[in-house]
Amino acid sequence: MNIVSQHQISSDLPAWFSEQQKQAWTEFQSVPQPTRHDELWRFSNLKILDLARWHLASAPADVDALLARSRGLSDLAAKLVFANDRLILREIKNLPEGVLLLPLEEAARDHEALFERYFMKHPTLLGSAKIAALHRAQLKTGAFLYVPAGVKVEKPIELWHWSEGDHIAIFPHTLVVCEEGSSASVIDHFFSMNNEASFVAGVNDLIVKADAHLKYIAVQNWSRETTAFHLNTTGVGKNAVATSLQLNLGGRYIRTESNSRLLEEGARSVMLSINPMDADREVDQRTFQDHLAPSATSDLLYHNALDDRSRSVFSGLIKVGTAAHETDAYQKVRNLMLSDEAEANSMPGLEILADRVRCSHGATSGELNQDELFYMMARGIPPQKAAKLIVRGFFETVLRRLEEPSLEKYFGHLLDRRLALG
Amino acid sequence: MNTETKPDINIDRSVGDFRYDVDYAFDAGVGLTEKTIDYICDVKGDPDWVRKFRKEGYKKFLEKPMPTHWASKDLENIVFENIRYYLSQGQVPKRSWDDVPEDVKRTFERLGIPEQERKFLAGVEAQFDSEAAYSNIKEAVGKQGVIFVGSTEGLQKHPEIFKKWFGKVIPSGDNKFSALNSAVFSGGSFIYIPPGVKVSHPLQAYFRINAQNFGQFERTLIIADEGSEVTYMEGCTAPKFETATLHSAVVELVALKGAKIQYITVQNWSSNVFNLVTKRGLAHEDAEIKWIDCNIGSRLTMKYPGVVMKGRRARGEVISIALAGDGQHQDTGAKMVHAADETTSNIISKSISLGTGRSTYRGMVHIPKHLKKCKNNTECDALLINANSRTDTYPAITVRGQGHSVQHEASVSQINAEQIFYMQQRGLSEAAAMSLAVNGFVNDLVQQFPMEYSVELKRLIDLEMEGSVG
Amino acid sequence: MNTLSIRNLHASIGDKPILRGLNLDIPQGEVHAIMGKNGSGKSTLAKVMAGHPDYTVTSGDVLLNGQSILGMEPDVRARLGLFLAFQYPMEIPGVTIANFIRAAVQARLPEGEELEATEYYAKLYAKMDELSIPRAFTSRSVNEGFSGGEKKRCEVLQMAMLQPRYAVLDETDSGLDIDALKVVSSGVNALRGPEVGMLVITHYQRLLDYIVPDKVHVMAEGEIVLSGDKDLALKLEAEGYDWVTAKN
Repeated sequence: MNIVSQHQISSDLPAWFSEQQKQAWTEFQSVPQPTRHDELWRFSNLKILDLARWHLASAPADVDALLARSRGLSDLAAKLVFANDRLILREIKNLPEGVLLLPLEEAARDHEALFERYFMKHPTLLGSAKIAALHRAQLKTGAFLYVPAGVKVEKPIELWHWSEGDHIAIFPHTLVVCEEGSSASVIDHFFSMNNEASFVAGVNDLIVKADAHLKYIAVQNWSRETTAFHLNTTGVGKNAVATSLQLNLGGRYIRTESNSRLLEEGARSVMLSINPMDADREVDQRTFQDHLAPSATSDLLYHNALDDRSRSVFSGLIKVGTAAHETDAYQKVRNLMLSDEAEANSMPGLEILADRVRCSHGATSGELNQDELFYMMARGIPPQKAAKLIVRGFFETVLRRLEEPSLEKYFGHLLDRRLALG
Repeated sequence: MNTETKPDINIDRSVGDFRYDVDYAFDAGVGLTEKTIDYICDVKGDPDWVRKFRKEGYKKFLEKPMPTHWASKDLENIVFENIRYYLSQGQVPKRSWDDVPEDVKRTFERLGIPEQERKFLAGVEAQFDSEAAYSNIKEAVGKQGVIFVGSTEGLQKHPEIFKKWFGKVIPSGDNKFSALNSAVFSGGSFIYIPPGVKVSHPLQAYFRINAQNFGQFERTLIIADEGSEVTYMEGCTAPKFETATLHSAVVELVALKGAKIQYITVQNWSSNVFNLVTKRGLAHEDAEIKWIDCNIGSRLTMKYPGVVMKGRRARGEVISIALAGDGQHQDTGAKMVHAADETTSNIISKSISLGTGRSTYRGMVHIPKHLKKCKNNTECDALLINANSRTDTYPAITVRGQGHSVQHEASVSQINAEQIFYMQQRGLSEAAAMSLAVNGFVNDLVQQFPMEYSVELKRLIDLEMEGSVG
Repeated sequence: MNTLSIRNLHASIGDKPILRGLNLDIPQGEVHAIMGKNGSGKSTLAKVMAGHPDYTVTSGDVLLNGQSILGMEPDVRARLGLFLAFQYPMEIPGVTIANFIRAAVQARLPEGEELEATEYYAKLYAKMDELSIPRAFTSRSVNEGFSGGEKKRCEVLQMAMLQPRYAVLDETDSGLDIDALKVVSSGVNALRGPEVGMLVITHYQRLLDYIVPDKVHVMAEGEIVLSGDKDLALKLEAEGYDWVTAKN
């Protein structure tokens, strides 16, 4: 049975939640499929919407092997590991009191009011409302992190989502709520066990209240046969800072939709993405910097390096609403073209309805800088290695925006491995 | 800074906002049907292939939906049934101003056209509603083999050149409004510049709408043969009516090997005009097409001049200035299609939104597979003057392969408050200081217009130093 | 045989000839200076030797210890021991100095041999101290946001780490104030020795007060028109270049 004809509701979830899932299923069936005339699907590969190929996942076969591979940073506050939408490890090492890190079904059962207040409260605006409805309907579990006011979680929290099996679908969900003045770092890993084809409809929602700081890094390394949607909504409160980074290392078709809502004065959202693309892989990036309050800042930096026959689509909108005076909003997408067959499509957009705004966007597509290459070769570095170093440097400039040397180093190693740099 | 203050940008609409009564000998009536098209064909004496072309265009116009899924919903306010599609006193333009009927001539005299012709133009065509009332080129230019006539005369007398390119740069089904123009086109220019001829002074067309509820659909085709050069300028005005007026032109340019075409527009339609224009040029090897486009008037303008760079080393350029005042929407941009190696395109767009005005930039840059060393540079700068002004930027850029260099940058800014304070300290009023700052913002682009036109522009965007705060 | 030999070298950029039959021998252990007006072809010579793709060698040869290097890729030449200190060193965003030099040192090791990290950093820090380069620079991107003096010091640091057999210093003094010039010169002087041949390209005599050459050559219109000892540089400083070209 495939995911469009079979609706399966987990018995672990409370009745109120299952009721919402039934509504979501109806919604999924009634929302029309996007077409290529839809502006939010311009330049997109519509093949990714062929959903009938994918089947609901059964329990993973080799939990021990998955756990053995769920190793990230050595020094953590806590870790949850999910495989095929089942929790397989809960490891709480060092969480301050009051912090909740729970699988979604427990949160829905034991903290109903709190969870309900934040769970998927904002419509999916960037084209994949149908996928979001499917996610909501088919969801089995996920991670809920709640950091109470004033609490600072010093060490990172790791989440792992594994897929295992051929032509299976999973629906990873991450919901992070940082109350006033709190802080946390979350690293969300998305990995495939084998090189099998799979489908992912994931949602990550980040709520960052006044004066809170959240860093959220999604390390995506799905198999090279995976079609994945990662849909995000981030809400940022007064003088709060949300920094998110997507490290897209794997996957065949990856569509990311990132909606940052600057809700109150002085809010700041930093949106980063690193995309080493090769073979015939495609990345489809849709972003929205939605300025709803004055004196807020949003800053987007996406770097795509495109080799072989790979392809990128970037469509980003900065909207400065009528109330959002004194906005600072920036958006920059750079495509580094590494082959004659690669393709980059960029649609950076601005809609400015307010006053006293500093706002700019830029999109570039260019080749490796030949002078940089020559300089490196003049130092004796072979051209292939020099090119890799330049690409690595191109990504490093994004990593530095995390402003956290230990994380920068960890993700730098992942990139070194991905680019086969020693 | 007081965000309610508007600079004294006194757009000189009085220039065109007058109307003399005119008797029309030919009138296709109100609304558009096959019969309207037959009427136009009959009075113009169109050959059969043109009648067929018009009818096909009409079919496409009916088939195509309004592009409101991306464009302004204001388009829905165009009532095609209420528009008059053809009005003229006759189909043959006069070669001398003395022969132009008095009621039409005084309009152009008041607009200063005959005077400009004497001063600095190589040729003039003056269109009044559907047809040119006057068309002439200087004898010396004519002797070089330059053809400068109306579109009807072009297709009748020079079919061998006309047919080869007509509808080829912009197919009639390119969009709903190019299809409409293809159905009912009348007027506009046909220009042919023979190989190697460099026309030293500009050729000018002036488009005047005089009648209410009218639609003007001129069609211009310019062919610059190998190594030739030409500058074409167009201006336009209409009196302000209570009801909507439609202007929907199609302009096709062909620059053959090594030719250069510069096409300059100063659009100053009254604020009841829907100005929906399709403009595109085809640049062959080493050719250059440059659109210099200034949009000041109209209610809604949708115009994205394009260049298809078909030959090696061809160059395309769009220089655009837009000023959106209260109630206006300037939806402009550029389209650059690279279709050969080492082609270069450049887009510079500056817009000013004032009061409730809205300016939109839409751009398309396309570099397909298997090309080498193509370059595009795009710069869009928007200036927002008031709290309720709006600006949007929607570019779409596709690049395939390495070895190209494509760069898009856009910024939105306000007038620098420190600058205003500095000028106020020197004794200028706030509004006057803002006007100076606005002038400074577009100044480098205004310099791109030929001298005579930059004077004209300054007159149109009259940045008054004196006057009250708006 | 331990000589960098330039034999009747002709090179052009596009259709424009710049080097027109240049001959020069730089034995290991000697420091030679090339002086000349702007546009005489000095920097072109440096880039042609290093193998910059913009230039075409139309005839002649460049021999490094008897081996022709002209057909080689720039990195192969570099690994043979040719070092070019750039007049305008490139900024490479995101690539740290430490990683960059490390990659260059690693490239000189035999296949399969890994650079020992502690040893490498010990050496790097020692050389940085000699050049008064703060440790913090190791994690900065190559040349990005550096002052003119910092860029040139970073070039000398690379030279010190890579220990070339022949070093070409292209206008290393340009953009330096007197203090920076002293630091850079003493760094270069520290690398002088019987194993290294150097070619110092400069427009001004000033640099040669600090890096005293064994021989001075004057270049004009793409060839060497006059050679002499270090006093020639003083004469050029005092009397300008015109008397040299007038003589020919």
